[in-house]
Amino acid sequence: MTTTFETMKSIIVKDYELAPERLTPGTPLADIELDSLAVTELIFALEDEFGVEAKTNGQGMQTLGDIAAYIDQLIAQRDAPSARTGS
Amino acid sequence: MRRVAVTGMGLIAPCGNDPEEFFANLAAGRSGVGILKEHSSRLSTRIAAAVSFDGSAHFPAPRLRMLDRVSQLALVAARQALRDSALELSDDERATTGVFLGTGMGGSATTDEGYETLYKESSDRIKPYTVLMAMNNAAASWIGIDHALSGPNLTFSTACSSSAVAIGEAWLRVRGGAAPVMLAGGAEAPLTLGTLKAWEALRTLASEDPADPSASCKPFSKDRSGLVLGEGAAVFVLEDWEHAARRGAAVHGEIVGYGLSTDGAHITRPTVDGQARAMQLALESAGVPPDAIAYINAHGTATLQNDAVETAAIRRVFGAHADRVAVSSTKSMHGHLLGAAGAVELVATLLAARTGTIPPTLNLRNEDPECDLDYVPNVARHGQDIELAMTSSFAFGGTNAVLVCRRA
Repeated sequence: MTTTFETMKSIIVKDYELAPERLTPGTPLADIELDSLAVTELIFALEDEFGVEAKTNGQGMQTLGDIAAYIDQLIAQRDAPSARTGS
Repeated sequence: MRRVAVTGMGLIAPCGNDPEEFFANLAAGRSGVGILKEHSSRLSTRIAAAVSFDGSAHFPAPRLRMLDRVSQLALVAARQALRDSALELSDDERATTGVFLGTGMGGSATTDEGYETLYKESSDRIKPYTVLMAMNNAAASWIGIDHALSGPNLTFSTACSSSAVAIGEAWLRVRGGAAPVMLAGGAEAPLTLGTLKAWEALRTLASEDPADPSASCKPFSKDRSGLVLGEGAAVFVLEDWEHAARRGAAVHGEIVGYGLSTDGAHITRPTVDGQARAMQLALESAGVPPDAIAYINAHGTATLQNDAVETAAIRRVFGAHADRVAVSSTKSMHGHLLGAAGAVELVATLLAARTGTIPPTLNLRNEDPECDLDYVPNVARHGQDIELAMTSSFAFGGTNAVLVCRRA
């Protein structure tokens, strides 16, 4: 979570010019005026950053922590595929 | 009918990032045409008139991400115009103040970028803001949002006459008393690979002058070879004369006539009839005879077709006075701004009247028997008495729009 969150934070600070101290995992997206289109853009940027493919455009996500957790989940799936295919 | 004053002007264009700088360069005969740094390996015609403009100097990053270049240019021109007008609009006035803007191509960089993602990168990740950035009415809408203007917000798209139509229609609104104040103008940002290649395919662009690329646009010259695309925006504050007088506003000039006609004949080929009718209607609405006009800022694209047809149309409308009236095409310096052309050229026309300096037609060195008017070749003419001036915009599709203005 920490690395993903910090990466996401630096993207938001750069692209949306928000003060880093306003960005915590518990920060509601509505409080920092990230609308649904901005969240979609942010997920695109995170996909590129972590080499993962999102299956959502962020619908239902309420906080910055929700986004980071979702990306972490994608990273975990990417890194552990052989466990399931079990060859 | 009310009189309509121009109380604010804003401009970002080749040759200058405000009206005064722009006009000083035109008067000095300095061309804004050059070789494009971007895309040059893909282009047969590398010349264009680009604007030196960085949006990040004007907009915070979150806003900038939602603005195509065309909207950025329009917004900065509108801010300049409002600042220049020193207007402080009441809430009631904001409710009637509208924005009429012209653009031919809208957010072409965004459209290009979307296709690149989709086809070249074979990705489905189209930017979420694509529709909002590319739509033709984005620039006008953002101006309305930026300044909380809730009168009518309309975008006119009639190719190269778009902004002349927008200004003319806004003029009608103020003149008829529907609104004491209107913002009107045009914006275009067509210097993207997709748009440049489409214009190349039309075989209407100037070939590069081998000795001096900045001299590639040669209106009315025998060796003219086509137009040079340019980008930019110009916006005006049009204000009821009495409203302006009550607040002691500085007035750049008065718009007194507007003529609108359509060729109804061919999608690209202009007609003498259509162009002449628009000029005639503009003179009639101004209530002035042809010989009262001292200067015509011509459409003068430097295409083979336009310049000969426009010359014939001027002869038809102006009769014997056609041999006396000064005609120049400033497109020789700032290029063809398509949907923004009429607005940018109205700046040149108003400032010519105010200063008494007629900007030249640059690069006019070879006489063409079909183009036999006084085009103010190569060197500006100073100390002229220009009470009334005309500016013409003609277009693919056939919509012709002509404005007449009076020195304040």
